[in-house]
Amino acid sequence: MPARKARDDVGMTSDVALLTEDLTKFYGQRRGIEGLNLEVRAGEVVGFLGPNGAGKTTTIRLLLDFLRPTRGHATVLGLDPRKDKAALHRQIGYLPGELVFPGRDKAEDLLRFFAVARGDVAWSQVTEFAERLDLDLSRSVRTMSKGNKQKVGLVQAFMHRPAVLVLDEPTSGLDPLMQQEFLAMVRDASGAGQTVFMSSHVLAEVQQVADRVAIVRDGQLAAVERVESLGKRAVRAVEIHFDDPVDPAEFSVLPGVSDVVVSGPVLKCTVDGRIDPLIKAAARHEVVDMLSAEPDLEETFLSFYYHGEGAGDASRAGA
Amino acid sequence: MLPALVRKTWRDDRLALIGWAGGVAAFTAIYTSFYSQFQGAAELKQDALPQGMLDFLGIADMLSPAGYLQATIFSLVGPLLVLMCAITLTARTIARPEEDGGMELMLANPVSRATFAWQRVAAAGSALTGIAAIPGILLMIIVPWIGMDIPLSNVAAASAGLVALVWTFAGIAFLVGATTGKRAAVLATTGGLAVATYMANAIGGMLDGWHWVRWLSPFHYFIGTDPLHTGWHPAELLTLVLLGAATTTAGVLVFDRRDIGV
Repeated sequence: MPARKARDDVGMTSDVALLTEDLTKFYGQRRGIEGLNLEVRAGEVVGFLGPNGAGKTTTIRLLLDFLRPTRGHATVLGLDPRKDKAALHRQIGYLPGELVFPGRDKAEDLLRFFAVARGDVAWSQVTEFAERLDLDLSRSVRTMSKGNKQKVGLVQAFMHRPAVLVLDEPTSGLDPLMQQEFLAMVRDASGAGQTVFMSSHVLAEVQQVADRVAIVRDGQLAAVERVESLGKRAVRAVEIHFDDPVDPAEFSVLPGVSDVVVSGPVLKCTVDGRIDPLIKAAARHEVVDMLSAEPDLEETFLSFYYHGEGAGDASRAGA
Repeated sequence: MLPALVRKTWRDDRLALIGWAGGVAAFTAIYTSFYSQFQGAAELKQDALPQGMLDFLGIADMLSPAGYLQATIFSLVGPLLVLMCAITLTARTIARPEEDGGMELMLANPVSRATFAWQRVAAAGSALTGIAAIPGILLMIIVPWIGMDIPLSNVAAASAGLVALVWTFAGIAFLVGATTGKRAAVLATTGGLAVATYMANAIGGMLDGWHWVRWLSPFHYFIGTDPLHTGWHPAELLTLVLLGAATTTAGVLVFDRRDIGV
């Protein structure tokens, strides 16, 4: 009976890669994730964003059947994470958030183990990803740096070309060059029809590849947004150095500009949305230097949702 | 071909396995080969010491081949060695990798939870069986070689008991590890249980009115039947095997139902 049902689900929802319905996990009294309703379509790249402890890893570990839900349920490729684990994990590539490898093998031996265990993955697929990430397979994984371990983790997640990639903080430890290579791997995977569900707390990296982002805070889904609409919301910190002291009042009245602090010729503020009004105002003075931090989730997006304005968007979850 | 996980488990444990196997083999070989030298000395001591002292030290019994093997290999140090090996290696099946996080990637492979647990048990259990069988295999060679006067069948029966004893405690260790996922819990609970049941068997044999306590001790089913004198006791050995099988099965069932790495 369960097998029959699973097959029916596949037929019914073949374009849905991940589906969670009221997915809830409590650790005793402590909330992991609560009432998560999320749908990720096949071939989509979805970023799963939120600060530490928001419930991202709990959700991912529920999808992988390391945890069992307190309430609600999840399906991956129409299959049940627990009942169909063996069949399902052949089609999932998983990168844990806290990467620890079993044993003391060289990277090559460890990846051979994964290759055989996943159903005889061709070795050329392993070396292909290892070369893309510039990974030396002859070294013992125990002695590797965090970044190199992360590369081994990425290779084992991608090497069997799974239908679904579930990646927990995939870029942590990678240098900027390798982060770009990783993003290229995600784009290629998406182009090949693979679904990517990746958690992060850095908006910028997700923004480059994701079709949509789902934002969690305090164990609940705050919003699901298309990436195109994110830029408008981006709150960035801006610092402008002028030749001469300026009057703060001139800038604090500008639309979207707040937290204006002027000390002599240096102006610091945050800009919500379009930066154009600030640029125009600044251009009336002699500008020596201008610094604008890349809008990252912690200080921009989440601050928006933390203050509750985004709470109403939760109803759009799964849209 | 054996499952990849079984081979991986052996490979990750290979240093520990080689170390334990070497230690158990050396222990068996050294103690047994002292037998002929020891006999002469024992006879001298027997003449020099009062009978009460000899009884207290158990030396009178050490003159017979069965008594000597019992005192050296099968009573305290032998079981202690193989049980320490069994408990620490079984702690590596689930508890240790769960604690250090290495289990997650092994579980991410396409096997069910139960299959994962059985393959880990199969790998550790087969290795443990090999190590626990080392004293028996060596005695089959050494006993005829140095001319100990004892039926090999009796030695085989005692050696089989040692293997069965290991299975029992490995099963218990696995159950604790599969339930708690904590290495310290495995070592403390199973080690504590081994000491307590060893004492129960010893005390049960010495005190009147406490004989029944022995029936609760796996050591009674292993050595309480005196296999070196009386040979095979299938029911007792089967009891140990069933205990191991039952605790292992329970461990797999519990592991299949709980959260991992919380």
